[in-house]
Amino acid sequence: MWFYEKKLQYPAKVGRANLQMAKFLITQYGGPDGELAASMRYLTQRYTMPVPQAKGLLTDIGTEELAHLEIIATLVYKLMDGASVDEIKRAGLGAYYADHDKALYLVNGEGVPWTAAYIQSKGDPIADLHEDMAAEEKARATYEWLINLSDDPDLNDTLRFLRQREVVHFQRFGEALQIVQNYLDCKKVY
Amino acid sequence: MYEMNQNLRLARAYVPFQVFSQRWEPLEGLMKGTIFPELYFPYKRREY
Amino acid sequence: MDREQLALLKELMALEFTALELHLYLDTHPNDQRALMENNSACQAAQAARERYESCYGPLTFCAQSGFPWQWISDPWPWEICYE
Repeated sequence: MWFYEKKLQYPAKVGRANLQMAKFLITQYGGPDGELAASMRYLTQRYTMPVPQAKGLLTDIGTEELAHLEIIATLVYKLMDGASVDEIKRAGLGAYYADHDKALYLVNGEGVPWTAAYIQSKGDPIADLHEDMAAEEKARATYEWLINLSDDPDLNDTLRFLRQREVVHFQRFGEALQIVQNYLDCKKVY
Repeated sequence: MYEMNQNLRLARAYVPFQVFSQRWEPLEGLMKGTIFPELYFPYKRREY
Repeated sequence: MDREQLALLKELMALEFTALELHLYLDTHPNDQRALMENNSACQAAQAARERYESCYGPLTFCAQSGFPWQWISDPWPWEICYE
């Protein structure tokens, strides 16, 4: 089960409202390498992990990704704050506005809705942990492209935090992979 | 460098285990995105 | 949100973050005694800061005590705070 804690993991700031960046950033909300996909991937894969270290890690990182989902939502919300319909149209968000006004919705930057097809749950722990490591690298790269797209130091400060978390998670999944590989090797001996 | 370590197998990925030695103070860790100096790899924004 | 409240909130974020980092480390290093000790004291420090915050500014967690009327729903919510 889960309880909500009424705070963000990181003090997420934006320097100024910026609809263009909101449009780019929303991919980390509902896009292929975004935080929802990350969370659902890990929380779904954990059931078939063979060792307690991997069950624990997928549970904990899957939970942390929900905190990141909330940070992204906060950033998008703040980036769209106070925008006029005219500004929304000019930023290429007119179609988004027609469907959602300024509400948060799980789409990528081009409006494609989130789909479970973004994630896999293979039942093979080696394959699943490799997917998880790749997912962390893809999210890290996405944050780097977003940092390149943004000239807002406050926004980039939070994006740098989220990017660094991907690096730490990659390390942990790598360690879990070694543990699972050793476990499977030992099992074969008997 | 390319010599095969006896404990490593082909067709398998390896990530070395972190050995915890030191950590940053809580606020510095939060600002950096990790409390572990050895895991901190910041990104330099590309100016095209 | 005034400066004092924001400072306490950031302190809590930092203490919980330290606990999270040690927690993830321990998931793959369950036999690291020093990390385990640091995890336990980080959790203690985070809990103390959380209780301090909640007694001054209202509930952050599900089971926190609430004054009258029900304080859980009081503004601001996390996405509404200006973290300057």
